[in-house]
Amino acid sequence: MKLRFSRKTLGIPYAVFLVCFVIIPMLVIVFYAFTDDEMHFSFVNFVKFFSDPTKLSTIVYSLVIALLSTAITLVIAYPVAYILARSKMQKKYVLLLLFVTPMWINFVLRVNALREILAWAGMLGEANYFNTILGMVCDFLPFMILPLYTTISKIDPSLYEASADLGGNGFTTFTRVTVPLSMPGILSGVTMVFLPSMTNYVVSDMLGNSKVTIIGKFIETYFGTDWHMGSMIALILLVIVLASTLLTGGFQSENNARGANL
Amino acid sequence: MKRRIFALLSAAVMVLPMTAMLTACGENDSILLRVYNWEEYIDEGGEGSYEYDYEVNEDGSAPSLVEDFEAWYEETYGTPVTVEYSTFGTNEDMYNQLKLGYTYDLLCPSEYMIMKLAAEDMLEPYSEDFFDESNELNYYVNNVSPFIKEKFDTNTMAVGDSEATWGEYAAGYMWGTTGLVYNPEFISEEQLEMGWELMLDESVAGKVTTKDNVRDSYFVGLAILFEDELLSLKAQHAAGELSDEDYTAQVTDYMNRTDEETVAKVQQILLEMKDNLFGFETDTGKHDMVVGNIWLNFAWSGDAVYAMDVAEDTEDGEGAVTLNYYIPEEAANLWFDGWVIPKDENRTPEVKHAAEAFVNFLSAPENAVRNSYYIGYTSVIAGDEMFAYMEDTYSAEDGDETAIDYDLGYFFGEGDYVISAPAEQAERQLFAQYPPVDTMLRCAVMDYYGENDERINELWTQIKGETLDAWAIAVICVAVVLIAGFAVYVKLGAKTDFFRPRPKKGFKLVAQEPVSYQR
Repeated sequence: MKLRFSRKTLGIPYAVFLVCFVIIPMLVIVFYAFTDDEMHFSFVNFVKFFSDPTKLSTIVYSLVIALLSTAITLVIAYPVAYILARSKMQKKYVLLLLFVTPMWINFVLRVNALREILAWAGMLGEANYFNTILGMVCDFLPFMILPLYTTISKIDPSLYEASADLGGNGFTTFTRVTVPLSMPGILSGVTMVFLPSMTNYVVSDMLGNSKVTIIGKFIETYFGTDWHMGSMIALILLVIVLASTLLTGGFQSENNARGANL
Repeated sequence: MKRRIFALLSAAVMVLPMTAMLTACGENDSILLRVYNWEEYIDEGGEGSYEYDYEVNEDGSAPSLVEDFEAWYEETYGTPVTVEYSTFGTNEDMYNQLKLGYTYDLLCPSEYMIMKLAAEDMLEPYSEDFFDESNELNYYVNNVSPFIKEKFDTNTMAVGDSEATWGEYAAGYMWGTTGLVYNPEFISEEQLEMGWELMLDESVAGKVTTKDNVRDSYFVGLAILFEDELLSLKAQHAAGELSDEDYTAQVTDYMNRTDEETVAKVQQILLEMKDNLFGFETDTGKHDMVVGNIWLNFAWSGDAVYAMDVAEDTEDGEGAVTLNYYIPEEAANLWFDGWVIPKDENRTPEVKHAAEAFVNFLSAPENAVRNSYYIGYTSVIAGDEMFAYMEDTYSAEDGDETAIDYDLGYFFGEGDYVISAPAEQAERQLFAQYPPVDTMLRCAVMDYYGENDERINELWTQIKGETLDAWAIAVICVAVVLIAGFAVYVKLGAKTDFFRPRPKKGFKLVAQEPVSYQR
């Protein structure tokens, strides 16, 4: 007797996982978002959200905080990934490891440590928004470095040579060869940093002393008292992220992903 | 080797159903008691345990109170009981868990959540036997402080459509007040005289925190809003124009106002306070006080005791900080957590008996002492053992001439319950654990807001949320739409690839015409 697996069978565990932990919860969220306390269908939460300046302001602030965090992370991570990927250094794996090891340390511990450093520097409680963004950058940097490193290191070196042969200087080669070819890595990194920066309220609570409120904190607070509003905010956030992913072409990168997806 | 693994496996396969059967048998006789309590809110044994200083198990570990209860119950009533002990982080988490259909036999929510559960008719009253004082195993009724008992017997709450006293549905566990922990190095007596309003004052700007939850912060806002009224009540009471009961009742009335006008005013006060705050906190306040990040911290009395203990207790005495606890003159919050039995149609009388026995076991004075030691909060249980423990902890050394007589009679009942304590204790740990009786008069219990709950929660959104001017929101929205539109245009329409090299100016792309070979 021989058990035979087709490739499709191998997908079953994931399909089960997907249905149980992604699709069903998502449907529950949609259900809660569009019902009121009596579980009747209603747009009341939708209207409430978009007619409250505070909630709108908060989501705008979150967007700005997340954009800034993502931009800064990218600016820091790109050169690092570029140098690491292109250097012929013997010890570059050690260096890469140094950038990635923080991911293995408990997140709360890292934020707490950063809080102590900020308190020591006298910045805790003084610059809440700056601290929050700093916390996000520190926290998500590895998520940006890794995909960038993978894509850049997979660019065929002969392309650089070709660029040089055609008269491109270092800068031209960088802007016309390296950057376009590492686009999948950039998109992958941006997606992985942007969404958590909008929802990771532990950072804004600990480093912004809860005086900075990002939209994730609202979701958390509402889930204590009003699941319907909490679900609605979660859904709105989902739509925003989905839209931005569509616009940046995150779904089209499969053809030339070059291992950017972790 | 392979054969041995197979043998092991088959043995395991054979043994497994047997153990399952054995446990099943065990479960049939033993009672399963499902207890749902706050995190770290019971003596869990181990090194932090009171027992650890006295007796330990053979393996060196101290037993937890839950283990001890199981042993005690079987010994006392002859029936084995298994406690399924789980914990929650906030009252709201607990409530949501109940709403999701999880069932428990014993819960330990805070006072307002008890009222909410009662109002929604989700609680079951204690049985008559529970209140039988002649039964010496009824530790709760026989040892609960007269002060707490009076509160539980006189205050009523809505239960479904009817009314009942708290005491019929709830048995107290821990209690305390809210107040201000301050660092006397930076905060002067004159500043404290400002009362709650100090939290708005420039002199503590960036050095004060409040709790990151609406109920506590709303309370502070109310106390600031009604400062004059509350102080005049206090003056009337001091002049003898107002009885003790009326004074407490009127303060409580002010501190439970949730009408629209009041909420709007409190919102202004809290927004002003937000600018003055170091931050909102749930857990970091104690640490920030100890290391000096802040000077003033809105605190629950139990946390205050913990912060004061930690601050003064450094290994070599170096870097020790003295912190004090202060209850402002206007009013303070009296809170308690209590055991309640949620309704469950399938619960057998045996399980209910075990649930009540669990409360009684925790209320036995020696166990209450263990719990107080472990948790650091103040138990509702009085009794001589508890008093001895407090005397042990707070008594002044012999020959201390500054020692004061600290009267705990209101809490422990008739008899000589006076501790001769060092003078500083009048504003430190002893004060935080048992404020004097006249201070307790201005401590108000905060009720469940009922139908105004949503208004208060919305207030919190407004306090915590970010504020932008309407035009700023409009500009940003327009910008977002423009960017999105541009992106869509690029993607669908022009198909422009920004990164594709384009010819420099001066060069012309010459379309290659098909070469024709005519010859």
